[in-house]
Amino acid sequence: MTDTDAAPAEEGAAEPAKPKRAGKREVWLVYWAFTVFYTALSVGICLLGRATPPPRPDVTGLQAAAWFDEHHLGIQIGFVFLLVIAGGAAISNGIIGYFMKRMSSGKALAYAYIAAMGVGAVPGFQVLLVCWLTATFRPDRSPDILYLLYDLGMLSYNGSLGCFTAAYTVLAIAVFYDRNRIFPKWFGYVTVWQIVTEIVASQMWLHHSGAFAWNGMITLYIAIVIFGLWVACLLVLLRKAAGRETGHTPALYEAEGTR
Amino acid sequence: MTAPGTTTRPRPPARERRLPGDADMWVMILGDLFFFGCYFVTYMVFRAMSAGRFTASQRHLDIDIGVTNTVVLLTSSLFAALAVLAVREGAWRRARRLLWATGACGVLFALIKAYEWHTEISRGHTIHDGFFGFYFVLTGVHLVHLALGVLVLGVAVRELRSPRGRRPTIVEQSVLFWHMVDLLWVVIFALLYLMR
Repeated sequence: MTDTDAAPAEEGAAEPAKPKRAGKREVWLVYWAFTVFYTALSVGICLLGRATPPPRPDVTGLQAAAWFDEHHLGIQIGFVFLLVIAGGAAISNGIIGYFMKRMSSGKALAYAYIAAMGVGAVPGFQVLLVCWLTATFRPDRSPDILYLLYDLGMLSYNGSLGCFTAAYTVLAIAVFYDRNRIFPKWFGYVTVWQIVTEIVASQMWLHHSGAFAWNGMITLYIAIVIFGLWVACLLVLLRKAAGRETGHTPALYEAEGTR
Repeated sequence: MTAPGTTTRPRPPARERRLPGDADMWVMILGDLFFFGCYFVTYMVFRAMSAGRFTASQRHLDIDIGVTNTVVLLTSSLFAALAVLAVREGAWRRARRLLWATGACGVLFALIKAYEWHTEISRGHTIHDGFFGFYFVLTGVHLVHLALGVLVLGVAVRELRSPRGRRPTIVEQSVLFWHMVDLLWVVIFALLYLMR
């Protein structure tokens, strides 16, 4: 039963019907969907698609075409699989949004987070998949077009920063202002690191090599360590938060008959 | 051994000793120092790979501006430390004034930095130069931290206005963060301006 479902109010009853329980079971279900999705994302993007660690940005069109030719099978298997399960991104945003709505800092921040991450998933995830799948399924196109898809995919994947910066900002604000202690305050600070690394990563549009290119030490590798740390902390904190949900946890929405 | 006629301050009992600020802020500070340390190591590696070009570019920096900014931030840290002492003595108004002075120094630092950036960009020193790429990123990320520090100081000042919000830990947290911003600048100053 979801927490939006109302227990039917008995006719003539003195007291309004109360929801039987908070949505513990579905919260766990979504939590595990989140965990599985991020694991699949890591396998698809890193091991099969080879977008992380990324290929070199300082190559010629012929080298880009040769790179696609060499890795076409992994990209096709990994990215087609990710296209199929792409909806997992929405579920992942949903579980974080659910706990943000439990914070005292207000529901508007939860909606802003979900919307910003949802919009960010298009350039930061889908465009990469579409560009590289097009390149590998249409290998007869000219090297210049393949080169454009190579650049477009990587720059969209690593350089689409605004939506994620906005999402992390509202999450950090929500954590700092929350008095229900859904997430600890230190997680808000870890989220601030995410914001800073997203801003620093904007350098990659201007550099073809070095520490600030899309495969650079500062714009990519340090940022990935911080992102990995952020996701690891989030998984632990979501697990703890889900474990705290009991039958007495109030529902997010009032039952229909009690409004 | 204590000299005759002098007094020593008794060590407070263990239960009265506590971590300044809170543990969450210490996570932020230690983590931030670690990641800035990664940036510094990366800079050193790239500098070692083309030391001649980096040193030639470094000569274009105005060291007087760097020294001025260092003095401004160290002064702000003095104000911040005095604010903590004032709060512990219950002198709320003095603490608020000192926090205002700290924030004002932060704004002055940012204005001087903006002037320096404008000067360097006008001379054609942009992020496409190896050294200036690091210069703009390191000082830029530091400026973001400084802006966050001013924001956190503002939160502490607001808390001090209300009798219910007058908690020493709030001021300690903001001042701890401010000292970290100061410490980071001292290292950045040494790496970018002094190390040749």
